[in-house]
Amino acid sequence: MKNVLTIFKKEWDRVIKDKRLLFSVMILPGLMIFIIYSFMGTAMTSLSAPDPGNIAIVNPTEGFTSIYALPDNENIDNIITIAASEIPTYMTLVDQGEWDLIIVFPANIESNLVDGYQATADIYYNGNESQSQTIYQVYRGYLDIYGKALSYQLYEDTTVLLYNVGTQPIDEKKLMGTIMATLLPMLVVMFLFSGAMAIGPESIAGEKERGTMATLLVTPVKRSQIAMGKVASLGVLSLLSAISSFIGIITSFPKLFGEDIDFLSIYGIGEYAMILGLLFSTVFVIVGVISVVSAYAKNLKEAGTLITPIYLLTIIIGISSIFGEGANASWWFYLIPIYNTVQSLIAVLTFDPNITMYMMITVMANLVFTALLIVLLNRMFNSEKIMFSK
Amino acid sequence: MVEFEKTIGICHLLLSNPCRGDFVEAQVIIKDITKTYILSKKQQKIERVKDKRKVAVNGLSFTAYKGEIYGLLGPNGAGKTTALRCISTLIKPDSGDIIVNGHSVITDPEGVRQSIGFLTSDLQLEAFFTPNYLFDYFARLRGVTEDIIKERKKQLFEKFGIDRFAEVKVGELSTGMRQKVQIAISLLHDPAVIVFDEPTNGLDVLTAKVVTDYLTELKNEGKTIIISTHIFSVVEKICDRVGIIINGKLLLTETIDEAGGTEANLENQFFELVASESEEA
Repeated sequence: MKNVLTIFKKEWDRVIKDKRLLFSVMILPGLMIFIIYSFMGTAMTSLSAPDPGNIAIVNPTEGFTSIYALPDNENIDNIITIAASEIPTYMTLVDQGEWDLIIVFPANIESNLVDGYQATADIYYNGNESQSQTIYQVYRGYLDIYGKALSYQLYEDTTVLLYNVGTQPIDEKKLMGTIMATLLPMLVVMFLFSGAMAIGPESIAGEKERGTMATLLVTPVKRSQIAMGKVASLGVLSLLSAISSFIGIITSFPKLFGEDIDFLSIYGIGEYAMILGLLFSTVFVIVGVISVVSAYAKNLKEAGTLITPIYLLTIIIGISSIFGEGANASWWFYLIPIYNTVQSLIAVLTFDPNITMYMMITVMANLVFTALLIVLLNRMFNSEKIMFSK
Repeated sequence: MVEFEKTIGICHLLLSNPCRGDFVEAQVIIKDITKTYILSKKQQKIERVKDKRKVAVNGLSFTAYKGEIYGLLGPNGAGKTTALRCISTLIKPDSGDIIVNGHSVITDPEGVRQSIGFLTSDLQLEAFFTPNYLFDYFARLRGVTEDIIKERKKQLFEKFGIDRFAEVKVGELSTGMRQKVQIAISLLHDPAVIVFDEPTNGLDVLTAKVVTDYLTELKNEGKTIIISTHIFSVVEKICDRVGIIINGKLLLTETIDEAGGTEANLENQFFELVASESEEA
């Protein structure tokens, strides 16, 4: 055990005492995620909320104004009233992309409503300008509502089919949990893997390539202790790297989903403990796989080449959280490493009632896989063909 | 030479040292070891051979005694490094056994590694760490107590002039200083057996002298030292006995006096053996 700790400490120091490595492994992932997600959030917000539009209305009506001026609409558009004689001028402006929309109502449309009268409102916008198009879509919606309101006023009926929708009150916790479960498991697995990838190959394949592993192998330390020391330190470091990424995700959520949504408070200590337990057991499986591949590789370059397809496979498994509907109900799926983590995370995040069972199977399976990988790594360290292949 | 094949089991053997004539402990007993490598197609092409199997060491046997320096002399690719790597347990012989300080490389490799100080160009130190850090690290892995670590560090760092560079990263040290640090680390646990592969390779004459002088000092302290080299002057200057290895076979083992006592005589003998071996091949 003493030797395992000594090796653990050296691997730890290798990262912690190297400012560059520390920055790239512990700080950069979180920082990059925060920047990327914040940027994505800002871009998405600007897409969903177009710039204020410029709308010119001829013969505005009270009924129409009351629709777009509703408090829910938060209308910030520049809406002006123009005379019919000004239409050509504004049409030119629309054509030049300097104005967005012109709506022309017939004069006194509301007071002229009588049986058989069919009013026509003219709309003019620029199909080549995205801003003009967007504003048109929005105001077309208002006009449709206004049209129906006028029809009702006239015929006391707007449609032949009425909807009577019945639904349960929305459980906000569950709704937010489902949103989290769509994205988070994939990201967590990706970040755990990329964190381990940043240091694992260097620690084994890199040491093999540079001859520093051989220096360790001529000490009387048992190969199994070397394997355990390496896997333990890489596991903890990768976990810290993943936590950095996790913090990056969490802090960027307000930007990504909106400032007023508080995702963190929907989960209690129990859920967070389970997430941490899952991460901890999974990171050792990932580090074990990376260590075995790195030990097999002749050099750092080959290790990187061999690990990349496994990383892609992990991402594909992670993506399953986007397409599935809740956690997988078959218990034996939780024996499959990585997939079990994704499914268990979904179960935790969506408050699945069977989470305890899923968690237990997942953690046990991960521990067994880690143990098997350490045994395999030990054998590889004992194999001169693998350790000294050129 | 003593017939060590008669000795059975793992024990310290009192054998007659042909160099000194008295009975001293046999510290390293190499018993008929063979090591074969399987060559890749690329290696076959480089070495221009058709056979996939390459016998690196073929039935090698010799004994190294307490308080002597045994030199393995041979051209490149003769099997010197393979033999030393077998002694250090980095690789296992296909057949035969090696007993180091009473431990078998086959059944007790950890015991062998505890008794041995091994140095070869294959072993490197991590460039990121300082000599000070690495000394402590490897000493702890070898189970050396904190008091002894301090004492040994002071002693070895002073001996090789590492003190001034103790806190400089290995990657920033000169090749010679790096080699000195490597030697200090290989000797930190005060091993009974020292196995150095080409110990003066790449060193300047001053550093090489420090190393060879220190090996002689260690010999006088009763350590068993095995070195491999292709430099005749090193053998002539510090070795008590020399074994000439060509094509994986030990063709000759004799004391330096028996070999003629001078570098020139040793050289002549070596080239004669190389020539006769080439004719046979």
